[in-house]
Amino acid sequence: MTLEPQGRSLSDFTVELDVYSGPYEWLLALILKDELEIFEIPLRELVESYIGERERDPTNGLERDTDFAGSASALVLLKSRTLSPAIDAETEGDEDEPLSPEVLAERLTEYLKIRRAAEHLRERFAANAGYYPSAHTVPPRPGHLRVKPERVSLAARRAFSRLIEPPVRHLGPITVTLQELAGMIRTALATGPISYEILTRDMDRLNRAVAFAAALSLAQEGSLTLAQTEPLGPLTLEPTA
Amino acid sequence: MSEKKPRPEHLIEAVLLVSATPISPPDLSSATGLSKEEMGSALENLAERYAPETSGIVLRNVAGGYQLSTNPGCSGAVERFREEARPAPLSNAAHEVLACALYLGPLTRGAISRVRGVNSDAVVRNLLERGLLIEVGTDYEAPGSPALLGVTDEFLAATGSSSTDEFPPLGSLVTPEELSRVHERLTSAATPPEDAGDTP
Repeated sequence: MTLEPQGRSLSDFTVELDVYSGPYEWLLALILKDELEIFEIPLRELVESYIGERERDPTNGLERDTDFAGSASALVLLKSRTLSPAIDAETEGDEDEPLSPEVLAERLTEYLKIRRAAEHLRERFAANAGYYPSAHTVPPRPGHLRVKPERVSLAARRAFSRLIEPPVRHLGPITVTLQELAGMIRTALATGPISYEILTRDMDRLNRAVAFAAALSLAQEGSLTLAQTEPLGPLTLEPTA
Repeated sequence: MSEKKPRPEHLIEAVLLVSATPISPPDLSSATGLSKEEMGSALENLAERYAPETSGIVLRNVAGGYQLSTNPGCSGAVERFREEARPAPLSNAAHEVLACALYLGPLTRGAISRVRGVNSDAVVRNLLERGLLIEVGTDYEAPGSPALLGVTDEFLAATGSSSTDEFPPLGSLVTPEELSRVHERLTSAATPPEDAGDTP
């Protein structure tokens, strides 16, 4: 994906947004360098601004439209990716199931409250803007660092408490081992070469993956050779002489 | 010649002048050697002297301490002198993330994203850089032990609050009528019309 216009047809297009004012090409460069957050850019205003500019100066219309459409659609894609909820381990798999009206109502109610709280915060930020404290910053002195007591107690709890076992809820029980599958491969090879596909035909994904690892391990120690005529083609396990 | 002992107001004034961050009453007391009563009385006098109506400098009680700041009415002159514009206002997304951290925190980035329904990582990063959010702990129960986020003293100062208790309860920000409207809409959307299936 590229945000850079193909030519220089947009070089004289400047934008005026709350978060940025200047050449459009620089805006794209700042977004690519992560110096400007894509979620802060109102794309609708950007498009309206371009349409206004286009009406004022219709020269090179097709070339400019093409360049703008290309970069603007890349911005839309980038923004939608940035805003898409991240898959997390706790909810993975559950999200495909439709939410019950009760759960949906609960979530919307919670979000509505947060939305109102955000509006309240906006007013408080606005009402308290323009206060400038003393510019005199006292450098921290050894032995006189300002540390809040609760931070000290938190650090002490961490330092002196027993290490908490990492959560393993997401890990399943061990059902297959490399040794077991290596033994199975050795037995199969006793009658001659065998195709990996046939060997793993009745296995699940986990067993197939472990069988592949076992075959690699046996090949490395010289117990068998792996033959494959073309990339991603059928794999044959052959016993070494 | 004996040196005249400074008044409590003068001592507090001098210490506040050289601090860029709010100073808590215990720190003020420790620096000035004043008792709690002397401090209380002196701070009342200073609040009158540095009231917004009478001075270009104001005394603020924010983030659990006291701070001398310029009067917002004079901010234009200050900004021209410092040759810097006022920081751009925060986006709606940033206010929502801060509201999550304030009312539901400490909580993880993932929890914030779940409440808002959209990925909030970029907004969180921006707020951490601006010093309005801070990592206050770790959620050891969650896979990967993600950091827990909370609001900072800078946040309290920027919202003119002495502590997080000064904010209205979350439940009071939404009226029962609004909540019942949400439930009604969802119920009506979830219930199929009575004659559904009768029409061809």
